Amino acid sequence: MPASVADCWWRPFRKVGSAAVLYVDLTPDAAREAAALAWLDQEEQSRSQRFRHDGARRRFALCRAALRAILCSQLGCPNYQLAFGASHHGKPYALVNGQPAPIGFNVSHGSLHGLIAFAAEGRLGVDVEERSPARDLDGLIGSVMGPAERAELTSARGNHRLHLFYHLWTVKEALMKALGTGLSSDVSGFEIPLAMRRGMKTSTFRFSHLPTVRWWLEDLGNEHFAAAIAHELSPGSH
Amino acid sequence: MASTGDRLKTLIADNLEIDGQSIDVPDDLDISLLEAGVSSVDLVAFAKLVARDFNVKFTLEHCTTLNSVKEVADFIDSQPG
Repeated sequence: MPASVADCWWRPFRKVGSAAVLYVDLTPDAAREAAALAWLDQEEQSRSQRFRHDGARRRFALCRAALRAILCSQLGCPNYQLAFGASHHGKPYALVNGQPAPIGFNVSHGSLHGLIAFAAEGRLGVDVEERSPARDLDGLIGSVMGPAERAELTSARGNHRLHLFYHLWTVKEALMKALGTGLSSDVSGFEIPLAMRRGMKTSTFRFSHLPTVRWWLEDLGNEHFAAAIAHELSPGSH
Repeated sequence: MASTGDRLKTLIADNLEIDGQSIDVPDDLDISLLEAGVSSVDLVAFAKLVARDFNVKFTLEHCTTLNSVKEVADFIDSQPG
């Protein structure tokens, strides 16, 4: 691992309730990538080698090594005791000495930016996307947005439209990742709360098929990227 | 007529990229677009293109549950024409 904090490619980004979010700098850097690879276990190193694109390989290695460092620090375990399992839908979870660890986490990366969210309790999901102009934004909107979301996007213009699309998309993807189903569900079947569609940075949300579970939503975007987190609220929280 | 695999390779070459680079799909089609690093937004767009070009019901869910381009080709070929 890096010898000092100054050498780290990740840093605290945001505190969201009981969850913490770290930013991972994914800028190409050969020394960082070599250090990251050395921190991965054999299976992860093999997986890294299978990536055909340098950028994908770099994002995986830098994010996974940062995740390992964070989890080892939080769980008080050495790196060699840490491993990862995956749910039926592919959502990873941490194992220490083969036993599930008492921490939830989620990782997202897009181009040069990564985010890692973790919390001791509650499912959580995070998503980060660079706001690349889509070739067929209308088609995308028709595929992934609900009726009210489509109406708002239809009336938005130019850059605001692109920002609003990525804002809504990252919140939706964060929710799906928190739920643990990834993108294997119909994302147009639910809509982001009106307050967030109109610019509020935070809101709460319930899926209609899961009415007893409440999720905290927060926009984490800035001028460089769109991003959002969804975190399951404990039943007694306000 | 080109095979489903060849048509998918063309569709990917013409419409998807990672960090501005085209995606090198091997001849055996054993590559996962999600694992390769294609963004979720691009996967949505790709699913729409597959549905349109092959006239099949093909959604983002298929993109994420089918583990390789080969499985996508097999899925398309299994649909009633």
